[in-house]
Amino acid sequence: MRRAVHTMPEALFLAVAVITIASAILALESRELVYGAVALAVSFLGVAAVFVLLDAIFLAVMQVLVYIGSIAVLIIFVVMLVRREKWVSMPAGKERILGVIASVSLLAFVGFVVLDSGLTETFISTVTPPSFFEIGRQLVTEYGLSLQILGLVLALAVIGALTMAKVEATRNK
Amino acid sequence: MAKLDIPLILIGALASAALLIPALDVGLGKARNAKFSGYFTLLILAFALLILTIGGLGLVPLDSSVPNLVQNDLLGVFFSFVVILVALLVTVTSFDYMKDNPNVSIYYSLLLFTSLGMVVLSFAVDLLMIFVAWELMSLPTFILAGFKKGDKLSNEAAVKYFILGALSSGVLLYGMSIIFGLSGSTNLNVVLNSLTNISPNMIPLAGFGAVMLIAGFGLKLSIVPFHMWIPDAYEGAPTTVSALLSAATKKAGFVAAIRVFAVLFPLLRFDLSMSLAIIALATMTLGNLSALTQKSITRMLAYSSIAQGGYLLIGLVVLPTSTLGLSGLLYHSLNHALLQATAFIAAAVVRYKTSKTSISSYNGLARVMPITAFSLMIALLGLVGIPPLNGFWSKLVLFTAAADGGFAWLALGGLVNTAISLGYYGIIVKRMYMDEPAEKVSIKEPFAMAAVLLITSAIIILTGIFPGPVFEFASRASTQFLSGI
Repeated sequence: MRRAVHTMPEALFLAVAVITIASAILALESRELVYGAVALAVSFLGVAAVFVLLDAIFLAVMQVLVYIGSIAVLIIFVVMLVRREKWVSMPAGKERILGVIASVSLLAFVGFVVLDSGLTETFISTVTPPSFFEIGRQLVTEYGLSLQILGLVLALAVIGALTMAKVEATRNK
Repeated sequence: MAKLDIPLILIGALASAALLIPALDVGLGKARNAKFSGYFTLLILAFALLILTIGGLGLVPLDSSVPNLVQNDLLGVFFSFVVILVALLVTVTSFDYMKDNPNVSIYYSLLLFTSLGMVVLSFAVDLLMIFVAWELMSLPTFILAGFKKGDKLSNEAAVKYFILGALSSGVLLYGMSIIFGLSGSTNLNVVLNSLTNISPNMIPLAGFGAVMLIAGFGLKLSIVPFHMWIPDAYEGAPTTVSALLSAATKKAGFVAAIRVFAVLFPLLRFDLSMSLAIIALATMTLGNLSALTQKSITRMLAYSSIAQGGYLLIGLVVLPTSTLGLSGLLYHSLNHALLQATAFIAAAVVRYKTSKTSISSYNGLARVMPITAFSLMIALLGLVGIPPLNGFWSKLVLFTAAADGGFAWLALGGLVNTAISLGYYGIIVKRMYMDEPAEKVSIKEPFAMAAVLLITSAIIILTGIFPGPVFEFASRASTQFLSGI
């Protein structure tokens, strides 16, 4: 096997994977919400690093811009603005153990399927990744209609969020 | 001769109306727009229905200007017809039902958005397009389910539905990404071509992708074991929205499932039909048995909707083995949409007038609200499948298809389930017509609601006595679709 040839990318991937998953678990489990939010941002960054390893530079940039630049920062702002007493704390019960069992078995299943399919080899792609220009061109030509539908999704999300957040003068029945 | 690009016309009409209505809150003033937006929505939906009728009758040849994303075929026209019809009925019922809500115009706007999502989903043949349309369909329904902001049940319904809906979108996207990774394309036709030559050890991965897709679609199709949110959501949401969720959203989920699984079926080496058959039987049995013990009409109808989802699934089970299966699925989709919408609208009328949803409050309804009671009876008997109502014919086609496709035990299971379902549908009819009402004061049914109920009842009876044209439309759509893949 040619496995030993690509130790560098493999080691890099392993490091990124460990950081991403560890910070994702931390994001869910941390008692202090601010730490959780920061851990979430680190996890997003890890995903961006995976995209870089996969030669998907465009996605990596978008991941950093959208997920870290806006979503993670937004979460941190919300956490800091809303007082802590307002947060509902969920008591950990049997569901917790069930959840762990379910996720571990799903992980084992996915792992088995992937390993079984022979996708075990690391290789370095020789294909040039598509340029930003090409991605942009396809997005507005070939996939123009889906882009417009996506615009509608965003518009309705704003309309819906405003309606939900609005405080009514008179309560409806 | 001019050609008709239905998806593009409908996207233009529905989207511009949906965006215009909230803006008119400022232009016309809230109070005037509350009335105007309802009529405007009705007008737009009627226009859409007209376009779909022209396309469905084949008066003008169909054409698509973006064939790689949306395919303008009869299957899409059929399902769009179903969802727009339901949206139209829901709109008219909402004139009265939503009258006191301070955000009526937004309600209609969201109704148009979700209808548009369902229409696009009916025509979409690209995984990317399917996903985007799926979101356009789902997001407004989350908000609509929680539209009564002061009502705790409505809030609970919305939150539950939102979390599970977001999960289903995630699972769906995961399945799609696996299929995309294996085939290198999101277009379903290209996926079909490239997946036929993948190496055999990749097949389990494709199977895993298919399972993820079943789980993702399954949440909207309300099949077991993804049905838990349905009773809570249908009970808590405004009843008109429950009508929309049960009669329309579910059908749109089915059309996406049909298009995707028609491509995946031939490729998988494991028996997807058998797995779906077991799910179908579990879904109808669980739905019917749970419905027997319900105390609230909306919960009962929710479980009945789950059970009916099981019957519809038969069409997917026999998709590779019997041509009758898809026709049956389409035919039952239309009939079930009409029946379920009528039942929910009748429940909405009762809830609007008496604020009650418990089954015991239906005692003697025939004397208090005769039109509502009559329509509800027609709808419930149709859901059982009593001849000569339309539900009988479509169930007959589905069960015949099951036996024809080598799943005789599934047809038998369906028949047993039909017998069980008579128990809870029948008890309502008995309560309405045989029992004494609590108060013998007759309640005036609002004109628009009564009109909708009478019209749908008439359609149910007429399409039951003359089942030919509708079934012919369904089989034309399914034949055209099956010959295309």
